[in-house]
Amino acid sequence: MTPTMTDLLNGCILSLATPPRPEDAGPFAVARFRLAAMINKLVALEYADAAAIRLWENDALRALIAEYGSRYGVQPDDGGPADRDYSLPALDASNARLRLWVIRLHEAVERAGDAALDRKILDLYREMARRRELHLPPFKPIT
Amino acid sequence: MSSAALGQALGDKLERYLSRQWGERVAVRELSRIPGGASRETYRFDAEVGGKVRGMILRRDPVVGLIDTDRQTEYLAYQSFHGVLPVPEPLLLETKDSELERPFFIMSRVDGGMVPSVMNLHPYGEQASAIGRELFTILGRIARCDPAELPIRTCVEAPSPADCWREALDGWQQVIERDERHPQPIVRAAIRRLRRNPPKPAQKISVVHGDYRSGNFLHDGRGHILAVLDWEMAHLGDAVEDLAWCFDPLWNHFDDSRVAGTISETEAIAIWERESGLHVDPSTLAWWKLFSAVKGCAIWTTSGKEFVAGGSDLVLGFAGTYSARRHDRIMADLLARLVEEGWS
Repeated sequence: MTPTMTDLLNGCILSLATPPRPEDAGPFAVARFRLAAMINKLVALEYADAAAIRLWENDALRALIAEYGSRYGVQPDDGGPADRDYSLPALDASNARLRLWVIRLHEAVERAGDAALDRKILDLYREMARRRELHLPPFKPIT
Repeated sequence: MSSAALGQALGDKLERYLSRQWGERVAVRELSRIPGGASRETYRFDAEVGGKVRGMILRRDPVVGLIDTDRQTEYLAYQSFHGVLPVPEPLLLETKDSELERPFFIMSRVDGGMVPSVMNLHPYGEQASAIGRELFTILGRIARCDPAELPIRTCVEAPSPADCWREALDGWQQVIERDERHPQPIVRAAIRRLRRNPPKPAQKISVVHGDYRSGNFLHDGRGHILAVLDWEMAHLGDAVEDLAWCFDPLWNHFDDSRVAGTISETEAIAIWERESGLHVDPSTLAWWKLFSAVKGCAIWTTSGKEFVAGGSDLVLGFAGTYSARRHDRIMADLLARLVEEGWS
């Protein structure tokens, strides 16, 4: 899992609150401030739809397992219950369990040579990655 | 100890170390840290010896790094190519926790150059073509060199041509398995596919820079590369690994039509083939491209883990988030395309 928004903001706070050493002034300090700014931008982007993206991904993984899991002997004991706690830690914990099941399902699908389902899973991966990607604008070089 | 005293302390320690090494009084001035990646702390300074001032770079191991690399390998890589290609001169190496607290090495400084960030748009401006031609000429020349004749041979083992891909993939897979904090189905699928569709054996064993890309060389703003830097991941293997890494979309400065923000992939390959004397097999290149995304995933997985473990190094936080998400996207798209094209 990539660092959480809390991790990222705490890292920025720690970095900016730590007095710089004399040798850290100049280009290194400029780069550090710029990184802190970019990380804050990442957090803003993530904050906008973090829960929605996780809910969507968890639903998609759950649906895939529900539809094809039994064919390949991949069935969670609890059936992969729907998300009820919409806090990000709870959604991430649910996501981790579902991702493990999908990895097992995908391995079984590949072993069986089920090309159609393989492509369906690969398409799902593309969509998961597309939704989670964070788009930062380019910036001018530091002069 | 105050921060001012700490800064003075590093300079004083450097002065004592250099004076002892060179047998005469050395004065260290203008000591300043520069952004130079997260795998080493990088400082620039002037060393005054016998009335002469020489620009230098100190590369010191960090407390926590992006990747666990061997500074001896990096030092010997600089030694292997200094005088042959635009590479700074390595001067001193300390592999133990010596008087600068951690292992370090010192090399000559190349002044007057600039290094763009991967977040810059059109970083080379009108010089993009000239930079690209030099970039792939140099890379081809690295590939052409015989590692058996270079200092780096003493600290890295050469895989057999048929095993280059396997050793590289094994290594980065271990990193992912060691540092993963959340299951990653995309990279797991990519690794399985890479193992089922191996590339052709390497045409020869070459020095692989390991991180050859835009952002890891100095250029003069007039179309010339002044220095190839950041050799910390150097190893022996298939030279196509470097080519594929340099072609990765993460380094293309938001321009899909040009590799590393410089020239087209077709032109880059033609230059590289001419300079290396090697041929780029398209299926082999495709394999190493997907491998590059896996390798990136491994590096960002480690950086995310180290950042969360308590570091305030924002490079790790940024790479572990932004680069990780971008590489996942690159990897998922490429994986689907390769399967569409017939990968088993």
